[in-house]
Amino acid sequence: MSMSTSILSVLSEDLLVRVYECLDPPCRKTWRLISKEFLRVDSLTRTTIRILRVEFLPALLLKYPNLSSLDLSVCPKLDDDVVLRLAMDGTVSTLRIKSLNLSRSTAVRARGLETLARMCHALERVDVSHCWGFGDREAAALSSAKGLRELKMDKCLSLSDVGLARIVVGCSNLNKISLKWCMEISDLGIDLLCKICKGLKSLDVSYLKVTNDSIRSIALLPKLEVLDMVSCPLIDDVGLRILENGSPSLQEIDVTRCERVSLSSLICIVRGHPDIQVLKASHCVSEVSGSFLGYIKGLKRLKAIWIDGARVSDSSLVTLSSSCRSLMEIGMSRCVDVTDIGMMALARNCLNLKTVNLACCGFVTDVAISALAQTCRTLETLKLESCHLITEKGLQSLGCYSKLLQELDLTDCCGVNDRGLEYISKCSNLERLKLGLCTNISDKGIFHIGSKCSKLLELDLYRCAGFGDDGLAALSRGCKSLNRLILSYCSELTDFGVEQIRQLEHLSHLELRGLKNITGVGLAAIACGCKKLGYLDLKLCENIDDSGFWALAYFSRNLRQINLCNCSVSDTALCMLMSNLSRVQDVDLVHLNRVTVEGFEFALRACCNRLKKLKLLAPLRFLLSSELLEMLHARGCRIRWD
Amino acid sequence: METEDDLCQQTNWGSSSSKLQEQGSSDGGGNQAFSGFTSEQKWEEASILDYEMDGVEPDLQVFDEMKASGEENVQANVDFLQGVRAQAWDPSTMLSNLSFMEQKIHELQELVHLLVGRGEQVQGCQDELAAQQQQQLITTDLTSIIIQLISTAGSLLPSVKHNMSTAPGPYTGQPGSAMFPCAREANNVASQSQNNNNCGAQEFDLPKAVVVDERESHVVEEHEMKDEDDAEEGENLPPGSYEILQLEKEEILAPHTHFCTICGKGFKRDANLRMHMRGHGDEYKTAAALAKPNKESIPGSEPMLIKRYSCPFLGCKRNKEHRKFQPLKTILCVKNHYKRTHCDKSFTCSRCHTKKFSVIADLKTHEKHCGKNKWLCSCGTTFSRKDKLFGHIALFQGHTPAIPIEETKPSASSSTQRENSEGGNNNQGMVGFNLGSPSNANQETAQFGMMDGNISFEDSFSPMNFETCSFGGFHDFPRLMFDDSDSSFQTLIANTCGFSSPRNVGESVLDTSI
Repeated sequence: MSMSTSILSVLSEDLLVRVYECLDPPCRKTWRLISKEFLRVDSLTRTTIRILRVEFLPALLLKYPNLSSLDLSVCPKLDDDVVLRLAMDGTVSTLRIKSLNLSRSTAVRARGLETLARMCHALERVDVSHCWGFGDREAAALSSAKGLRELKMDKCLSLSDVGLARIVVGCSNLNKISLKWCMEISDLGIDLLCKICKGLKSLDVSYLKVTNDSIRSIALLPKLEVLDMVSCPLIDDVGLRILENGSPSLQEIDVTRCERVSLSSLICIVRGHPDIQVLKASHCVSEVSGSFLGYIKGLKRLKAIWIDGARVSDSSLVTLSSSCRSLMEIGMSRCVDVTDIGMMALARNCLNLKTVNLACCGFVTDVAISALAQTCRTLETLKLESCHLITEKGLQSLGCYSKLLQELDLTDCCGVNDRGLEYISKCSNLERLKLGLCTNISDKGIFHIGSKCSKLLELDLYRCAGFGDDGLAALSRGCKSLNRLILSYCSELTDFGVEQIRQLEHLSHLELRGLKNITGVGLAAIACGCKKLGYLDLKLCENIDDSGFWALAYFSRNLRQINLCNCSVSDTALCMLMSNLSRVQDVDLVHLNRVTVEGFEFALRACCNRLKKLKLLAPLRFLLSSELLEMLHARGCRIRWD
Repeated sequence: METEDDLCQQTNWGSSSSKLQEQGSSDGGGNQAFSGFTSEQKWEEASILDYEMDGVEPDLQVFDEMKASGEENVQANVDFLQGVRAQAWDPSTMLSNLSFMEQKIHELQELVHLLVGRGEQVQGCQDELAAQQQQQLITTDLTSIIIQLISTAGSLLPSVKHNMSTAPGPYTGQPGSAMFPCAREANNVASQSQNNNNCGAQEFDLPKAVVVDERESHVVEEHEMKDEDDAEEGENLPPGSYEILQLEKEEILAPHTHFCTICGKGFKRDANLRMHMRGHGDEYKTAAALAKPNKESIPGSEPMLIKRYSCPFLGCKRNKEHRKFQPLKTILCVKNHYKRTHCDKSFTCSRCHTKKFSVIADLKTHEKHCGKNKWLCSCGTTFSRKDKLFGHIALFQGHTPAIPIEETKPSASSSTQRENSEGGNNNQGMVGFNLGSPSNANQETAQFGMMDGNISFEDSFSPMNFETCSFGGFHDFPRLMFDDSDSSFQTLIANTCGFSSPRNVGESVLDTSI
């Protein structure tokens, strides 16, 4: 004891802070437990927090005085009343909060939002995406946050031009706004936005029914750097040409899936903006022509280009790569004409490539992958989905050279086998690995992954029917930081293997769909061990009995999303689950043969104040009480009738 | 589809209708319905005499379909004529007239149907000439029916006075035979009276009949041009290049400017009068009587000086004495201008009760849009169009669009709250039933003053405070504020065994959790 105090006296607080800043989030938890001094450092240094239980918010706000970013997107019970009560509590200080994430908080409406906006004077960033019920009233409430700089309103379905106008007038200092899927927004709203918020740097108008008139307004923004307009069906070449001489600061543009946009207008944009860095034109250009490549040559600062779905011949890829040597990211999924010759030129010229997407490029072979691995040593992300010609040879060079590889997608690559996995396991920094539909891998290959890839965070083994319990045990032993694991339809797995998952204490996303061999015992072990579990898919796990669900109800208090379709859950167990899983927000309850209508009614009543998404069989619409359905609707719960 | 007989008939299309008529009348002895038709045919013929149609093709298919209603049809015709002659305001006459019109419209429809069918057939047989002839015949037939329709429709208007002298036709005898001579006679009489303007039947003292006629034609003409706007700033006619006319106030404000010389009924437009006149006899149905009176005067006559109008109101910019006189283009412009500028606004909008108009058309235009699409700015200005509002907002700093206050809709909250009040506050089970009630979610309607602390939490039943209600005086803040409502494991096991009804379940859970 005396020993530890002496160490602490040596280290001053600012040194401790520096040490603390180097730690990973899991280690910070341990740090807090060392001593009061360390706890104090933790509480003073922490600036961001994401909470699941809003009831702890006042205490946490007191404990962490320097919090500037608050994420309430997963609080299931956040609603206007809670916000109002928070506001009434004088001890809560929210003055320093700059960033607020209210994504999917469908139960917070205009009253609550306005209260929040007034409580947090320093508010600069707000995210209310996917609050599908939000409309003009909520926008008006938000507009009282005068200092707002960044606003994300994706999928606020009722937001119209009027609401946008309120925000624009109220928060004229906005420099980033995302209006994706706000389908009511029209040219008028965009025009006003561009007229008043002159400092706008980033604008997302994806999926909106805006026309060329909007582009005309957008072109007048002097500081615009990022423009996203994915799938804008009414924008065409004539509109895009306006941008050639507009928006002088433009650096990133995304015209993915704009069906009426062609290469000619892209050329105009490139001609007008030689400093452009990111060009995303997936699935809208059919061919990369010579003239386009000629203009691309002039872009010395181009970092990322997405031309998915275009016809890219080898010669054009050679030209492209030789003219844009600083390219860091290239997206060429579904560019079926790409072959090894082009890829080798790309690897030879663009040494700084970090992200390469070659999904569905069927002619790419090991030769291309080897070239890429050998020259582009900083490669971090490689997507090779459905590249059927890839074999262990290509993976061997990846394992040898790509030491920084973090993400590898080998979904549906039938050439991947145990030997290949052994090579891959040498990429010790691998964090995300997708092996879905690779049927040639067995316990042996999985064992290599489990023993060497200790940093793995995500592993997708969808329909890998070749491996069994032993492989899963090795994974559970080795990849301790795994937080996302997909084991759907790995039909060999039984209770014995699944029980091992309990060792993965950071696991938050688990898919066990279609595992007929697991029973309540296996599920109970998982529930008991994986306390952080937030997403669980048990669809078609027909042999899990009530004991498993009871254990789940008892242990998995953090579960947010659960899929119980085709499970043999009983009335009692369902009610137990729904009432005890106090964080659950998204539930799929289709084809539950043992559950009666009364069972559904009661189970849903028990959780109706926190549900945000629900999937039920269509006949239940008429069998459940209308009061229940109205309640669910009023709380912002969306029901999908199957 | 069509029978061979029909096809045979169609090969005869080229032959004159009179021949067919003869055929019809000779055959018609045995066929009652057919004879009925032919007589009707004659009647039609009479009405379209002036259009140089010496016959209408007999459409056998139509006949057949009409067979059943033949008698009735004839009866209706008689009634119709009686209605025209008697001119008495009689609802039953009106009804019969209407039903006659209905029938005529049906005939017209059937004819067009046939036209369509035949068009295809003609294409098949490739006989260009025959096809043309058929087309002509069908067109004439159509015209006659349409004209008939119009005249009947005119007769529907109630007249001020009726003049029996123009309708001396005997009504006696067979219905089929009775009306046709009668119609002819009426026609003759009417044409006579038209030829001789000073006929005894004309006993109305029309105010400036000739002048009115002249202007009237202008009104109609201008109306057809849709030139109702009295603002013609663009027109810069040099003074003297046009003739200035000035009407008196009484003249401008007179409701009718055209009067029937027979019955005295007044009309705003000459065309309407002419349509009306048709009801007075066949002589008014001639092409000459229907034509615009000034049409024939124009060819050959010397180029007329353009006419422009002056407003009789002294001091008005539209008055010819004004220094910067701007003439009005048409009579209609004069009327609208005078009413809008120099008359009381006597028509009030029935929706907003604030906007007033002196021209009824303006009122109607306003009422179409009144109340709808009210685009409101925070400064109180309203706009009829969204883009106008947005232009306004872009122009004035700090102005924002106002969001209209939603009317509270009857929803789950109200129903559950009603239940509450019925159950009484001492019923804890009912309070418990409100678990998850959306009342708070629906109370959002414009409670913007909540920061002032005027919210009473006792009133809102929400999942958060149902425990408060149960516990009465328990006011420990954190618990009150964030009740987790996690019912305990054991409690639920005890309760889930038998559910009777959802409500009871809700109550029982709450009771045990208390």
